[in-house]
Amino acid sequence: MHNQRTVGDGLRLLTRAVVHVVLGGTALLATATVVSFLGPTLALDLSTPPVAAWWTVFTAVAVQGVPFLLLGTVVSAAIGAFVPQRVLTRLLPRNQALAVPAAAAAGVVLPGCECASVPVASSLMRRGVAPAAALAFLLSAPAINPVVLVATSIAFPGQPRMVLARLLASLGTAVVMGWLWARFGRDDRLRPPRPTGDSRATGPRAFVTGLQHDFLHAGGFLVLGAAAAATFNIAVPRSVLDVFTGSAWTAVPLLALLAVVLCVCSEADAFVAASLSAFPATARLAFMVVGPMVDLKLIALQAGTFGKSFALRFSSATWLVALSSSVLVGWWLL
Amino acid sequence: MRRHGGPVLLCLVGAAALRITLFGDLYLRYVQAALRPYLIASGIALILLGVTTAVLRSRTTDPDDEQGEDDEEGEGGHGDEGGHGHHHNHGPAGPRIAWLLTLPALALLLFPPPALGSYSAGREAAQRAAQGVGAFPALPAGNPVELTLAAFSSRAIYDSGRSLTGRTVRMTGFATHGSGGTWYLTRLMVTCCAADATTSKVEIRGEDAPPTGTWVTVTGTWHPKGGLGSDAAWPPVLDAGSAKTVRQPSDPYETR
Repeated sequence: MHNQRTVGDGLRLLTRAVVHVVLGGTALLATATVVSFLGPTLALDLSTPPVAAWWTVFTAVAVQGVPFLLLGTVVSAAIGAFVPQRVLTRLLPRNQALAVPAAAAAGVVLPGCECASVPVASSLMRRGVAPAAALAFLLSAPAINPVVLVATSIAFPGQPRMVLARLLASLGTAVVMGWLWARFGRDDRLRPPRPTGDSRATGPRAFVTGLQHDFLHAGGFLVLGAAAAATFNIAVPRSVLDVFTGSAWTAVPLLALLAVVLCVCSEADAFVAASLSAFPATARLAFMVVGPMVDLKLIALQAGTFGKSFALRFSSATWLVALSSSVLVGWWLL
Repeated sequence: MRRHGGPVLLCLVGAAALRITLFGDLYLRYVQAALRPYLIASGIALILLGVTTAVLRSRTTDPDDEQGEDDEEGEGGHGDEGGHGHHHNHGPAGPRIAWLLTLPALALLLFPPPALGSYSAGREAAQRAAQGVGAFPALPAGNPVELTLAAFSSRAIYDSGRSLTGRTVRMTGFATHGSGGTWYLTRLMVTCCAADATTSKVEIRGEDAPPTGTWVTVTGTWHPKGGLGSDAAWPPVLDAGSAKTVRQPSDPYETR
């Protein structure tokens, strides 16, 4: 009886596979034919310089993001599937005021750029970490990990104060935002990260389902962010910047805004900041503090994970806090 | 198709990552060389993941696997626990937003976008590498010595040791044009991905200007200009002995 069923199942699976292959093959063949006919015309359209540059920047941001996003989702799915809820809650101090700085400092351990931190923060929340602490981690991880700090010291040779200033200002922003959320934040604003499938499921199978879901979900938003970044990259002429270099009052907010629209990944932003040599040091610091915490790509990722209204509010608050903390630290250290 | 959307998407993205890294140097148009192993690993992992989920899924439709059916219901977002299914349109194929991934994946598989070139270089005011004036390490031996445009520029503007004096250098870049018949040898420098490209350029004297965007290798000597570290020293000038048209190098950008 049982044997018969497995044979039947096998046959059914085989038929289904054959049907899929035939249908898929036909579809692929049809697409290939159409593309090879239309390709040259399309390619002509694509080859106007601005459009081609848009596509290049767009795919570049997406290609660059994929390995980091995958790393982030692997870590996040592993936390979801293999780390028991109790471990995480026990690791962090129960008092939220203390848990926030601890979580922010823990950001040192995730070597990656900002794409990786959103899924990890979301799975931390899913596993019962207080949102305030998870958000502090979300903000600090891409900004203060060793890879980023080393890149910063290479970009600013002979200026260790810049590295220190970046570390302090970023950590400060993350902690302040965590505390602000603990005090004023309303967790109902934060759409609870949806459990993928069954939140109680653990083990390899939950890992695979969680990974697949998280990667696809975050990947879609990464593409959205990449499109926005490419659009601004092509649409905003850099010469606009030169108008504002003179006064610190305009230069600092301007570079902080530029960080939002350019979406340079946190491992590279120090080099971009170094090349903006006409700007005062504090403005360049603001560029490096804001970039990993607020940019279009991140807003898209956060909107997808935590909800649109949360992402907008949280990002604008973070932008203001990051700006003030870079001004303070810059005034003190630089 | 809906059922297998997730696995198909994963395989598509994985295939795109492998196509640009394993078969040629296309990835260098978008990211830095150092990212290659990670891209290959991601490509393989994504395809494996796609296949695994497809297999798991086809097993869960087995009628006696109740657990599996529940999983799919949950993902379908039909007001499960807590009822926060709003705005989260998940079919069993996975999140709908994920279909956006087909855009870059198909672009890479079918028409890989070209490397950034003279258009981007022209839009962006060429940046000076920010450095203080100081003595640079000695230039490597060789006549002519191969230099990147960025290295040439920073030595020309900031080197108090004047290490370029009396040396013949060779550099490769594409041509861009300035006002009044001047032309520049130009190259973009990429740190992480093409979105952070910055421009280096060197004015070329003594050779006729090739059309904009042509890749050339120029050999010549440094023509000192302006004071050390001053604005007048920029852009640096090269007295060209020869300019030879070449094919676009496999890595179109300079790296740090």
